[in-house]
Amino acid sequence: MRKIVPCGAVLTTCAVWLAGPAYAAPPDLAPKTGGTTTWGVATEPSCFDPHRSSQQAAFFVARNYIDSLVAKRADGSFAPWLATQWSLAPDGLTYTFTLRDGVTFHDGTPLDAEAVKANFDFVKKPENAANAAALLDRYARAEVVAPNVVRLILARPDSSFLESVSNVKLGILSPKALAKGDLCGGGPALAGTGPFVFAEYVRGQSARFVRNKAYAWPPGYAAHAGPAYLDGFTIRFLPEAAVRAGALASGQVDVIEGVQPTDAPLFTDQPDFTLLKGPLGAGTAFTLNVNYTRAPADDVRVRRALRDGFDPEPIVGQAYLGTVPRAWSIIGPDNPAFNRALVGAWGRDVAGANRLLDVAGWTGRDAAGFRTRDGKRLTIEVGYPQPYVRDNREVLIQGIQAALRKNIGLDLNLRIITAGEYAKGNATGTWSIYPNTDNPSDAARELWDMLGTKGFLYTNVPNPDPEITGLVDEALAATDPARKRAFTDRIQVLGIEKAYIVPLFAPSWFLAARKGVEGLGFEAGLDSPANAYDVWLAGE
Amino acid sequence: MTASPHSAPAAVALSTEGLVGTVASVPTSVLRATRFRPRHPPRFILAAGFLAMLALVALGPGLFTRYDPLTGDFSETLKGPSWVHPFGTDRLGRDVLARTLYGTRYSLLIGLAGMAVSAAAGVLLGVLAGLRNRLLDEAVSRLFDVLSSFPGVLLAMLVVTFLGQGMANIAIAVGIAGIPKFGRVVRAQTQLVRDADYVTHAAIYGLGRSRIFLRHVLPNVLVAVPVIATIYIGNTILVVSGLSFLGLGPQPPTPEWGVMLAESRDVLRVAWWPGVFPGLAITLTVIAFSIVGGVLQKRFEGRIA
Amino acid sequence: MPARHLTLRILSRLGTSLVVAWASVTAAFVALHALPGRIEDILAGDVDFPGLREAIAAEWGLDRSLPAQYADFLLRLAHGDFGTSYVLRRPVIEVVGSQLRPTVELAFAAGLLAVLLAGGLALATAGRGRLAHGLASSLELVAASTPVFWLGILLLMAFSFSLRWFPVAGAKSWNALVLPAIALALPTAGLLAQVLREAMEKTLDQPFVTTVRARGVGETAIRIRHVLRHALLPAVTLGGWLIGGLLGGAVITEKVFGRPGLGTVTLGAVLTHDVPVVLAVVLLAALIHVAASTLLDILYLLIDPRLRTT
Repeated sequence: MRKIVPCGAVLTTCAVWLAGPAYAAPPDLAPKTGGTTTWGVATEPSCFDPHRSSQQAAFFVARNYIDSLVAKRADGSFAPWLATQWSLAPDGLTYTFTLRDGVTFHDGTPLDAEAVKANFDFVKKPENAANAAALLDRYARAEVVAPNVVRLILARPDSSFLESVSNVKLGILSPKALAKGDLCGGGPALAGTGPFVFAEYVRGQSARFVRNKAYAWPPGYAAHAGPAYLDGFTIRFLPEAAVRAGALASGQVDVIEGVQPTDAPLFTDQPDFTLLKGPLGAGTAFTLNVNYTRAPADDVRVRRALRDGFDPEPIVGQAYLGTVPRAWSIIGPDNPAFNRALVGAWGRDVAGANRLLDVAGWTGRDAAGFRTRDGKRLTIEVGYPQPYVRDNREVLIQGIQAALRKNIGLDLNLRIITAGEYAKGNATGTWSIYPNTDNPSDAARELWDMLGTKGFLYTNVPNPDPEITGLVDEALAATDPARKRAFTDRIQVLGIEKAYIVPLFAPSWFLAARKGVEGLGFEAGLDSPANAYDVWLAGE
Repeated sequence: MTASPHSAPAAVALSTEGLVGTVASVPTSVLRATRFRPRHPPRFILAAGFLAMLALVALGPGLFTRYDPLTGDFSETLKGPSWVHPFGTDRLGRDVLARTLYGTRYSLLIGLAGMAVSAAAGVLLGVLAGLRNRLLDEAVSRLFDVLSSFPGVLLAMLVVTFLGQGMANIAIAVGIAGIPKFGRVVRAQTQLVRDADYVTHAAIYGLGRSRIFLRHVLPNVLVAVPVIATIYIGNTILVVSGLSFLGLGPQPPTPEWGVMLAESRDVLRVAWWPGVFPGLAITLTVIAFSIVGGVLQKRFEGRIA
Repeated sequence: MPARHLTLRILSRLGTSLVVAWASVTAAFVALHALPGRIEDILAGDVDFPGLREAIAAEWGLDRSLPAQYADFLLRLAHGDFGTSYVLRRPVIEVVGSQLRPTVELAFAAGLLAVLLAGGLALATAGRGRLAHGLASSLELVAASTPVFWLGILLLMAFSFSLRWFPVAGAKSWNALVLPAIALALPTAGLLAQVLREAMEKTLDQPFVTTVRARGVGETAIRIRHVLRHALLPAVTLGGWLIGGLLGGAVITEKVFGRPGLGTVTLGAVLTHDVPVVLAVVLLAALIHVAASTLLDILYLLIDPRLRTT
C-alpha cells in the first residue's frame, strides 16, 4: 500500500511536504495497528454537528466520524468516497450519485439513497437553521432513484456544488441520528460512517474516539484500506498556546495543533519532536476586506494608498517569524484556483501611495502626524470581532498600522469589537474593514462569500460594484472548469486593482508531534489537519 | 457594626471596615489640625516616592525615552535587554522600556478613572442611603447587594461586552464593580456622622438641614474617600490586567501594562523581557498603592485613638 | 440569644436574598437584550442565507416582544427550567451542572489553601520581630499584587514544563488541581495573612494576653487558642469578599490551566452572547453570594458572642 503512495501518508499533503520542511515516515517501517494518542487542540467546538457548526475547529474533529459522498484531492479534483461514481446531466442541474455497497453507520443503520436524501432534506429545511444550508442556496431537492442511487437536483447551475458535497458540512449522518434532534453535544448519538466512533465528550475537557472496526470505505486519497490503525484517540482542549507547547514538550500529549511561530523552534529538527506545516492558504489568504462604499475608502485612491503604503513582507515575516509567506491574492497560494499572475504584480509603493493621497486632497497633517483633509483625519477603522481574534493576527495588524502611520500618515484604526457590534455593522452594511479568512470551500464560493451581492459581507451594503459582483455570479454559475477559472482569475485581479481587498498572508496549520506518531497529514478540502485514519504509532 | 458584616472591604491591603465610625465624633477642624504627622515609616516614603515617580513618568513619558511606543523596527524584533534597548524589544520590534513608560499613563489613568467612577457613584448612593429615609436606604442597599453579587471579573466582562472595548469603557466596567465597596463604607459613615453629637448640637443651634449636611455631614463623610480610593486603585489595575488576559482589555496597540503582559505570554518561552517588565510594573505599582493606602488608613484611625 | 430571633433573622435574610437574585437576573436580562446587534444576527455570525435569521429568531422565541420574552423567562425559571443554550444547543442546566464540580473543587481547594497559608504565616510571624514581620509582609504584598494569570503561567513553566511534577491541564486527577489552586490561592492568602496578622498583633497587645501568659500558658497555645479567635472577625469579613474573588479568579485560572469549569463556560457565553447561559451563571453567582453572606452572618455570631445581643 505504501509503495503506491510514496510520500508516506496522506496523498493530499505530498506537494506541501516536498515544498515545506521535509517530513516522511522512515520507509522501512510498516504501519502497525494499535495504541492510542492524545491531541491538544486550541478551540473547543461549541457544536460537534457538522451541519450546524460554523467553526473550522469543529470540522477537522468531525472528519473523524463523518464521511462525505465525494473526497477532494489537493489538486482540486475529486475522488470516490461514499459514492463510487457520479455524473452531471448536460443541463448542469442534475447530479446522480451511485453509493458504495456495504457501508453502515455507527448505529448499525445501512447507508442508502434514502439516508442521503434525509441529510440533504434536513439541511435545506429553513426551520432547522443549519449553517450548512448556505452551501445549498442553489440546490432544490433530492430524489431516490434506486436503493443505492440518489439524484440531487439544483434550481440554478452551481459550479461549486461538487465541492460543497465533498465538504464535511454536508457530510452524511445516520437518519436515526438526524431524527433524534439536536446533536451538538456529540457522543455516540452523533453517528456517521467515519473511521472513528465518537465515544464520549466531557465539556471543557476532552473528547474521546474509538476505532470503527467495520470501516472499509476510506476516501480515494487515503494511504491505506480497512479500519484505522489506532485503537482510539483523545482530544484535549488547551486554549493557551504556551500550555499546548508545554504539554507536548513535557510528554503530556502526543500531538498539538496551533503551534505558535515562537514555539516552532522547540519542535523543529529536534530528536524527540516533529513539526508539520499544512498547506498555505488552501482556502483564502488572511485579507483586509475594504468596504468600498464607505468614506474615505469609497475613493479608489485612498484604497490603493492603503494597499501600497506598506511592505507586507517584513511585517508578516516578523509577526510569524518567517513561518508563513505574505499573500498576493485573496485566494491562498496552495488553492488550485490561485492566480499566479498576481505574484509580484502589486504593492510596496510608498511614494506612489503618498502621491495618490496628495492628489485626493489629503494634504494636511495633524499633531499626531496623520494626514487630514478639511481638518478631518484620514482614518479607516478595522473592526475585528473579539471572538475571531487568534493566531497573532491582531499583532500583524498592529504592525501594518504602525507602518501606514509612518509611511503615508494613514490612521488604520484597529478596534477589537464585540460580536454584537460586528453583527450590527454587518446587518446595516456600515462595517469599514473586515479582516478574515473564509472557511475553505470552492474558490468561486469563497469569492462569492467575500465579494458577491449576497455573500455575508456585502449582503446589506447598498449598491455594491456591479462589475465584480456580476463576475462572481458568473463564476458560480460556470460549470465548465476552464470558463470558471477565467472568471475566478479575473475577479482576483480586479479585487487587487480596485483595492477592494488587501491580502496579507497565507495562513497555515502547524502540527507538532512527538517522534513515533506517524501518518499525520492535512486535508485539502478542509484546509486543516486530516483525521486520524492514517495515523499509527511506531516503536515501543 | 452598622454595615452588614459581609459588606466587603475594598482593600488590597487592609480592611476598610475599620474606617467606619472613627471620624464620626470629630469635627472638621480637628481633622484639619491633625492632617500632617511628622513621622513617616521608610516603606511609606519609598512607596510614595515610587508613586510620585510614576506620576512624573505618566505626565511626560517622552522625557525618559526617545522611542515611540507604537512604532517598531522590524529588524529589531525580540532583542534582549541591551544598552540601546534596556528592556529589550517585543515581537514587533517596539522598545519595551518605551511601552512600559508610556503604559504608566494608561494603567494609572484607567485605575484612577475606574476608581473615580466607583467613588462618585459610591459616595452619591452611600450618602443617599445613609440619610434618614428607610425606603431609600433599603433600595440602595439592595442595589449594592445586586452589584456585589456579581464576581468583579464577571461584572466587568459583562459591562465590556455591553459597551465595547476601549479605555473609557473598561474604566466604567471596573468602576461599576467597585461601587458597592465605596457605597457601603460611605453609607455607614453617613449614618454615624448624622447621629454624632456635634451634628445634633448644630441642629439644636438652629442651623438649616441642608446647611448642616453641607457643612458638617458631607466633609466628615468625604474624608474617608481618599483612603479607600488609594487602596482600591491597585485592585482596579489588577482587574484590568485580568480583562486584558481574557482579550477584553484596552484596544491594541495601547501600551497598557495588562495588554503588554497578556501579549507577552505567547513568546515567554523564547523571550522573558516583554512580559517581566510590565509584570514587574504592575506588581510594584499595586504594592506601592497598598503601602501608601495602608499607612494613610492607620494614620486616619490613629488620629482618633 | 433566643433561637427564634436567629431563625427570624435568617428568614428575613433569605427573603431579601430572593429579591437580590431576581434583580440581578433582571438587570442582566435587560442588559443582554439591549446590547448592540440583534441576537439572531450575532448567532448567525458569518453565515447568511435567506430565512436563516428568521429561523433562528423563531427557534429561540426572539421574534416576540421583550416583555413577552421576559415573562416567559421568569415563568420557566419558576418551574426550574433554565432554557437551552443558543450556542451549545444543550439544556443550560446540563451545561452549568456539568461544569459546577470542577469549579467548586478549585475554589474550595484554593480557599482552604489560602486560609491555611494565611493562618500559618500570621501565627508564625505576628509580633515576632522586625525581620520575620518584614519578610512575611513583603511576600504577602507581592502575592496580593501580582495578576493571577501571570502567576499561573509562571507556575506552569516551572512546575509542569520544566520539573514535570504536575500535569499541565485538565481536571481528571488530584494533582491537576495543585497548580491552579496555588495560583488562585496565593493572592487571596496574601490579603488574608495581612489582615489576620494585623488583628493578631493588636490582640497580642491587649492586657488579657499578659494575664494569660502570667498563668504560664505556652506561647503557641496562647496564639492558637486566644489570639487567633479574636483576630478571626476581620478575617471573616474579608473572607466574604474573597469568595466572590475566588469565583471571578476561577474564570482566569481555568483559562490559563485549560481546566473545565464554570469560568470557561461563562467566558464563552459572554463572548458569544449566549443569553440563557449567562443568565443562569448570573443567578448562580447571586445565590452563592447570598448563601455565603448568610453563612458569614452565622459565623460572626459563633466567633464573637458579644454580637448575639444586637
